[in-house]
Order: sequence, then C-alpha cells, then structure tokens
Amino acid sequence: MSQSAEPPLTDRTLAAPAQGQMAARAGEPRNYVGIVRVAVLVILAAVALTTPGFLSQPSILSLLTTVSFIGCVAVGMTLITISGNIMSFALGALVGATAMVFVLAANWGGFAFGLVAGLAFAAVTNALQGFLIGWLRANPIIVSIAALALIYGVAEAFAAHGTIYAATGTSYAGFKGKVAGIPVEFVVFLCVAAVAQFLLSLTTFGRNLFLVGSSFRAAEAIGVHTWRAVTGAYLWAGLFTAPAGIMLAIRYDAASMNYGLGYEYDAIAAVLVGGTVIKGGEGSVLRTLAGAIVIGVIQVVLVLQGLRTEWQYLIAGLIVLGVIALQTPGTRD
Amino acid sequence: MDILTVEGLSKSFGAVRALRDVSLSLRAGEIRAICGENGAGKSTLVKSLMGIFTPDAGSIAIDGVHHTMRSPQQAQALGLGLVAQELSLAPRLSVLDNIWLGSADVPLFHRRRDLRRRARAALEILGAGEWDLDTPVSALSIGQQQLVEVARLLARDARILILDEPTATLTDTEIARILDVLKTLKARGHAILYISHRLGEVFDLCDTVTVLRNGEHVATRQVPDITREQLIELMLGRPFGDMYPAAAAGPDTGDALVVEGLNVAGSVQDLSLVAPRGKILCIAGQIGSGANVVTRALAGLVPGATGRVSVGDKPLRLGSVPHCVARDLLFLSEDRAAEGIFHQRSALENLLAANFSAHTHMGILDWPKLKRIGARLAQRVAIDPRRLAAAAGKLSGGNQQKLLFGRAIERPQPGVLLMNEPTRGIDVGARADIYRIMRELCAHGYALIMTSSDLEEVVGVADIVITMYRGRTVARYQRQSIAMARILADITHPVQAAA
Repeated sequence: MSQSAEPPLTDRTLAAPAQGQMAARAGEPRNYVGIVRVAVLVILAAVALTTPGFLSQPSILSLLTTVSFIGCVAVGMTLITISGNIMSFALGALVGATAMVFVLAANWGGFAFGLVAGLAFAAVTNALQGFLIGWLRANPIIVSIAALALIYGVAEAFAAHGTIYAATGTSYAGFKGKVAGIPVEFVVFLCVAAVAQFLLSLTTFGRNLFLVGSSFRAAEAIGVHTWRAVTGAYLWAGLFTAPAGIMLAIRYDAASMNYGLGYEYDAIAAVLVGGTVIKGGEGSVLRTLAGAIVIGVIQVVLVLQGLRTEWQYLIAGLIVLGVIALQTPGTRD
Repeated sequence: MDILTVEGLSKSFGAVRALRDVSLSLRAGEIRAICGENGAGKSTLVKSLMGIFTPDAGSIAIDGVHHTMRSPQQAQALGLGLVAQELSLAPRLSVLDNIWLGSADVPLFHRRRDLRRRARAALEILGAGEWDLDTPVSALSIGQQQLVEVARLLARDARILILDEPTATLTDTEIARILDVLKTLKARGHAILYISHRLGEVFDLCDTVTVLRNGEHVATRQVPDITREQLIELMLGRPFGDMYPAAAAGPDTGDALVVEGLNVAGSVQDLSLVAPRGKILCIAGQIGSGANVVTRALAGLVPGATGRVSVGDKPLRLGSVPHCVARDLLFLSEDRAAEGIFHQRSALENLLAANFSAHTHMGILDWPKLKRIGARLAQRVAIDPRRLAAAAGKLSGGNQQKLLFGRAIERPQPGVLLMNEPTRGIDVGARADIYRIMRELCAHGYALIMTSSDLEEVVGVADIVITMYRGRTVARYQRQSIAMARILADITHPVQAAA
C-alpha cells in the first residue's frame, strides 16, 4: 500500500459524495437530456408568465395547493420508485379511501381520532402491499393493480357511489386557513417532504432502501433485511400519501373515492419529471418537489387557458412518455 | 503474407485516449495473444477491428487491401469473426438456428438442407460433428455453447477469429477442449487473436504475444522467447514481485469455523471442514462440483442447507443472511455485477453498505464519521480516494472487487470471509492487490474460505485445499502437499469419491 503514490487524504477530496455522482454521470447522452430539460422549463415558464392571470394571488394559491396534493402522493411514490418497485397505481385510490376513513372516524370519534385513523389506515394498507412484494417477491405492478381494485371494491360497498359528508356541526375551519400567507396544505406538504428527505439521507432505513433498489440480490447478500426495507418503503409511502386525502376531506368537508382520481398519474409524472430513475436505486425528494411544481404549473396553466380537465390526463400521459423517452438513452450504457 | 495488418490505430472517447497508434500484423496459422490489464485498450482494439467503433486514425488491411470498417456486417464479410466475452446465443433456439442467426447469407426463403450441411461441416471441424443440430442451445453446457459460437464464425468462412476471454466462465476440461479446437483451427490456416487474463493459456496456446498498456503497444514477442514474469512486468509496466504473497507463519489462534455434515439437496453431500484463523482454505472443484454452493450455504444464502456449523464454538443456524452476517460470516459473490456491486451508488456507499447501522447517533447516520471510515477503507484496499464519489458501476472490475473486500475489513471482530472466484475477470495488477488484502486479513485473524476454478490460483494462495467432485469431498491437502496435478486429478477423475 505504501508504494502506491496516492495524493494525501484531505477533506476536499472527499467532499460531497452523494451529490458528486451527478457530475460523474454527466456523459454525452446526459448532456442533451439536460438541454431538453432546460428548453422545456424555459418554454413552460414563458407560457405560464404570458398566461393572463397566472401571476395573480388566487392562481398562485391554487398552484400551491395543487402542488401540495400531488406532492404528498409523489413523495410517497418516490420511496417506492427508489426501492426498485417502479410505481404504485393504488396511491390515487388510497387518497380517496383515506379521505373516507378520516371523515367516518372523525364523525365518530372527533378530529384527532380521524387523523390517527386515516394515517393508520393508509400505513397498514400500503405496508401489506409492501410485505407481499418484499417477502413473497410478488410483482409490484400486479400487486398495486390488485390493491387498486380491492380498495375501490371495498369503498363501493361502504359508500355505494356516494359521498360521505362530515357530520353537521363539525367544521374544520381552523385547518383551512393560511400560515403567514401560505396555504396550510403547502406547509403540511413541506413537512412531509422534509421527513421523507430526512429518512432517505440520514437513516439506515433510507440507505438500505437505495441499496435494495439498486440491487436486490446484492443487498440480500450483505445481510440487509430486504423485506423490511421494501415493506418500510410502502408503509412510509402510505403515511406520506394519507395527508393528501385528509386535506382534501378537510377542504370539502366531505370524502369520496373521486377525490383520488388521477393522483397516481400526476405523482408518477412528478417523480419522472424530477429525474428519479424508474429502475430504482436513485432519486431524491428534492427532485420530486421540483417535478411536482412543474406538473402543478402545467395544470394551473391548463385551467387558466380554459381547457377541460380531460386534457390534464392527456398532458400527464404525454409527459410520462416524454420523460421515459429522454431517460432511456442516459441509463442504457 | 500477412492476413491482417493494423497500422497506427487510434481511438479516443472524449478526453480518454483508449487506443494510441497501435500497430500489429497477423499471419495465417498464427495465434496471437493480446495481453494487458483492464483498460489497456484490448476491447477498443477488438471493437475497432470488428467495425463496432470507427477509429480516429490508422488503417486496417486484410490480405494487403486497405478497408475502412464501417459496420460489423462489413467486418464479417471480410472474414473477421468475434467470439465476445459474453455469450451471444439465443438459448431457446436450436444449434442450427444459432449458427445462422443474423447471417447475411440466409435468404428469406432459405434452403435448410444446404444450411444444415454447412453447419454440420463447421461443427465437424470442432470435433462436434455428432451433435444434434436441433437441440436447443440452453440444453448445452457453457463450454459447448462456446463451441457453437466458434462454429457460427466458421460457418461464415471467418478466417480471422477474435476470441475475447473465451475461457473465463469455463471449467478446466472445457477449457482444454477449446484450446484443442483452437490448435486445430490454427493448423487449418486460420489466424487467431486470443485475449485472455489467464497467462497459462497464453503460454500453452499462443505463438506470439502483443502487450498493450494504457492504450499503447508495448511489445510483441515470440512466446517461447519470454517468461511468465517478463510478460507480467510488460503488462504492469513495473517490476513485479511475487504475485502471491507468502503466508504469514502466524501463531495458531484457533478455528474460526467448524462445519460437520453440510448437506444441500442436489449439490453438496456430507461436507465437513475446519477453517483456522489466519489461513486461506480453498475449495477446488469444477462447475457443478458444489464448491460454490458450500460457501453460499455458509453465508446463509441457501434455504434448504442443513448441517452442524459452529462459529467460535457457538452453533450457527443456516438459512438467514442477516443472522450469518451478525456472526461475522461475510460473503463475496462470483457474480459481482448481480450480487455484489450497487451500480448506481457511489463507491463510498458501496464500501459502507454493510455497516451503516453501526455508525448512528440516536438513529441518525453520522456522515462525517462515515466519510472518514470510507476514506480509510479505500486506502486499505488501494482505491484512489478521489474516486469515492464515482458511481461504482463506472469502476473497473478490479476496483469493484476491492470495494467488496473493503466491506469485509474493519469488522468489530475478525470474521470469516466466504469468497467465490475472488479474482474472476480481474487484471493482473488488481489481482496482486487482492491477494495482498487477503493475506492482510489473515494477519488480522480472519479465516478465509474461497472457491476457485483457476488451479494456478488455488496452488498459489491456498494454505489448505479441499477438492470436490459432484458434491462430495475427494481429498484434503495442507500447504506442503498442495500440487496442481493432484488437484486436477481429484476434480476431474474422482477415484476416491467413486469408491
């Protein structure tokens, strides 16, 4: 070892290992992806700023709340993607079901009980899926589709197409306001994002999640409890998704399965636009945050331009396809 | 006349000059070894010849006629053929289909009979004329599949064959067959470029050897005029001490691991071993002998394994990796790409992967401390600390393997290292580093158990050898009595095991 002429070890040579990989990956294919990204952002910003009314207070507030709802689901989705399990199609349904559990439980046992019940419901529902995937190595896409059908089926039985309303007399007025001019929803979302980033960067669970997502077999071979990591990823994804449902219920004093409609697609789009790699083992909440803002801006612009909601699905689909097409050459080396 | 002449070939990728002004020539009936460490430019040379890369400068001439290689199809039409490192067969298709797969000769409505005849003729040259052309390739052994690859080139009238590490995944008997086949082809006037990390094969098979280093041509020699040590020094570019460091004659500090009656259905029968601290125990056997299943089972990776195993005098339950890791049994897979390295994660994280939980404050990772530990580990396993931030997938095979070793050192207490083929696909320089690391671990009181299909390596590093044949132990040897001939005899002609 002494004969090798290595440079002296300084702190500078070791600076920023996690961020450093971005620079290391800046190969030729990535460069043009970067150019496309910047171009798309510039165009989007130009369209947004020239859309009449975009810079008005109501539209900014609506942007922030939109980003919050999509963002909570997208942060949960990020954990699932990082863990190597691609995406969950059941998170939108989970949003609606959590909203219903929250309203039912709050009507019965008060607001705090509703909160706990909603979070617990989402955590358990998702953890069960994670367990199937992590322990039995079931296909994550199939499991999420099955969960989607199950959640809708059970919800139908309870509510029969209907909407569940908060008991007369209850009002969640205190949770509908603003904190220093910022909607409560956005504050909650920032908290969710902070907790998620903390988990990913600063806990053993988070690091194991990256390892399992990068190579399940290699993680297994060094003694990582792979099923715990995967189950944990889904459990936390449930906990991060639940606030979206609860906040929607608070906003409308009611809950319905329709509330969650389409959120999984927006969240998938946000995760991909943020640059989290679909095959797992890479990604961050900050990227997803950026992705959620892009998706939010697009939706607000569509609404301001007077396009129908159906167009939003089309746009979300196009974005997902576009990002996948861009991602592929960069990851195939 | 020279069948192939390469002059002044250069190729750069961005700032990296992968090939610099390389010239060589090849005669019909000549087998030329191309040697060099990983990154020396061997693959770039091959890919430039095959029209996969377009060189920046230089010329390629076949039979004295200059050609600009624009595509693999053109190279194929000119009589060049490549057997790549990874097999490129379609496992579900038949031998016949694989031989003609992708050939420009096959018309849309082809005459099966003619193609069968030509495929048969190619296999006959390889001594495999009796094979059923309609067997799916997946039913063949890896060695036989390799022959199908060669037959594919012969069927297309390739006169210049390029073989890129054809023996890396073969057993010794299969290697012997491939080498025989190549000698036959040489006698028939084919010219062969032979790329291998295994120097034994170079001296066995090749007439001449060209050494590349850092993309440059270093030397071309007649094989009889050069010794193994000289060749290694040419490859390394520096004087080379002993490849295998001497075993430290440390005091006997007891047995780390005792195994009695290990059984794995279909792979291992009634295996017993004792692994002393500070020693390297080598389990030698061909593919299918069960040797690599023994190490996997001891690492907790084989669900159905049974047997009495004790670590430091306390019994160990098999079948759970976390359980085995907690008792300091650590596993290094032969399949580095799929079961060892976390490709997208940084080298630093790869070094620390198994130890994150040991460095937390109230559940929060202590990154400053982890970085310090990572830097120290990198130094101990001879990895440039500046590369710690790079994604592990971008590092060479040798550096990746060092990362895996880095995970195993600095355990709270010395443990047992279970390694399958620890130097597979690794160049000479990194190999020497790895043997040194292994001896250092021994000096710290680790017990090392490894499997290897490279007999030269077994004889070079092992303190104790256990030979296996079809799941059974054939014999045991201590350092003084380890001899290559005996081991080879044991793993191929198991007289004792059959008795």
